[in-house]
Amino acid sequence: MERTGADIRFHDVSVTYPNGFTGLKDINLNIPAGEMVGIVGLSGAGKSTLVRTINGLVPITSGQITVGEHQLNGRGSAQLRGRELRELRSNVGMVFQSFNLAKRTTVINNVLMGRLYHSPAWRTLLGAWRDDDVELAMSALERVEIVSKAYEKASSLSGGQQQRVAIARTLAQRPMVILADEPVASLDPPTSHVVMRDLQRINAELGITVVVNLHFLDLARRYSDRLIGLRSGEVVFDGAGADADESVFENIYGRSLTAEDVLSSKGTL
Amino acid sequence: MSGAGAPGFMLAPGTARPIKPRRGTMTGAAVVLLAAITVWAGIGVQVDLPAIAANWRNATSNIVQLLQPDYGFFPKTVPALLETLQMAVIATAVGAAISLPLAFLASRATNPKPKLLAGVRFVMNMVRSVPDILYAAILVAVVGVGALSGIMALVLFNIGIIVKLVSESLDGEDLGAQEAALATGGSWPKANRVAMLPQILPSFASQVLYTFELNIRASTVIGLVGAGGLGILIDNVRSFFRYHELSLIILEILVLVLVLESASSWLRKKLV
Repeated sequence: MERTGADIRFHDVSVTYPNGFTGLKDINLNIPAGEMVGIVGLSGAGKSTLVRTINGLVPITSGQITVGEHQLNGRGSAQLRGRELRELRSNVGMVFQSFNLAKRTTVINNVLMGRLYHSPAWRTLLGAWRDDDVELAMSALERVEIVSKAYEKASSLSGGQQQRVAIARTLAQRPMVILADEPVASLDPPTSHVVMRDLQRINAELGITVVVNLHFLDLARRYSDRLIGLRSGEVVFDGAGADADESVFENIYGRSLTAEDVLSSKGTL
Repeated sequence: MSGAGAPGFMLAPGTARPIKPRRGTMTGAAVVLLAAITVWAGIGVQVDLPAIAANWRNATSNIVQLLQPDYGFFPKTVPALLETLQMAVIATAVGAAISLPLAFLASRATNPKPKLLAGVRFVMNMVRSVPDILYAAILVAVVGVGALSGIMALVLFNIGIIVKLVSESLDGEDLGAQEAALATGGSWPKANRVAMLPQILPSFASQVLYTFELNIRASTVIGLVGAGGLGILIDNVRSFFRYHELSLIILEILVLVLVLESASSWLRKKLV
């Protein structure tokens, strides 16, 4: 896993959904390789839309996004599709709020999903993975410290363990970027910290660029090098976590903070 | 109100309660409509109750014969019985193998191409709308009398059922894992293989066992038009009015269906 991260650049990116809702408005961002970026904002502010544009799950309406050497364009310009789009996605791992594992199969089969792009169709069909791919998947499980569960059914694992399997699945891709869409929203506080530390460690040790949406402000401040605040699809804050005090968050949220905005039981930042 | 738990449980009256919605008139109209349709259907097919009473004597002698199976006939039924079983096994296996990929093409969840989806669904609706006995009658005319035409008829029947049921369980499946597989750069077929197939495998196995149950029964019936198995034997003894022998065959089918159905439903419970 000796690959390093990729830069992500947003140039005048807007997303308008078919129902007319504006997801993102004229976003300009430059995320250098190896950075860990937290994105905060109310639900509906465009956090989820923003991370999903990076791997093309949400197509952008106008502007450009570059991820390493891949480029995604708005409507009217050349679109990334078919094999080119899959190649971009193979370089970008994604972690979801609800883990998104195939629960009825084993942990190792779920991690091997990270090798789909590189595995020939006939091998995938027969489930006959290359030895190299299995080895890569096992070492990804080792990195999140649950390799002992490799042959257990995914459904038998706890929520925190399932999310770590999902992180291992992205590692098996040997990605340049990891996107995480509310990765701890379904987890209890101690487990949330375990998962966030895993992401932080992966970012620090492997140099993978990490973009993570977080609902809880204290978590976002603690685990990211840089915070981006979104409000109604626009960037309203971009700076170091340490610079983001209560007044900054009140601007992002458009209201004063409540105990529900932080994970810690003390109810403060 | 007395005895309503702890004191102070009941609030002071005066809060607005919702009015219970009325459903009575619609239900009454539906019952009257259904009754009218039933009477209309009865008149249409000329149900003749007096004739049933008049022919009662004919029926009793046949029923008395049917209640006395000729157990000595058993050895002669064994080859047909086995053929029925073999037809059901082969038809289920072949039908299941063909159905699995078709089910993925017939589900909105696993087929992203709207035109292909509509095409596959249209063909599958056609396949399903033809009854098994009609397939058997046509195939007997095309490939001749015997087990092969029966197997082919059952395979078509099975594809209709399995594709319908499995594509419906695909439609109802959580799409999270598939989204994740597509996000790793997997193509649709690959993502469906690794993310959707493991999820529906138990329900697929259960549907296959269910169609096997149906095939045991169906393979006796389609034999009546010459498509192999016990049905051919039934047709033979029935046309010579050998009701004691017919009775034994019916008894055999009953036992076979009961035994296999209970075995298969026991297995299916283990699966899901």
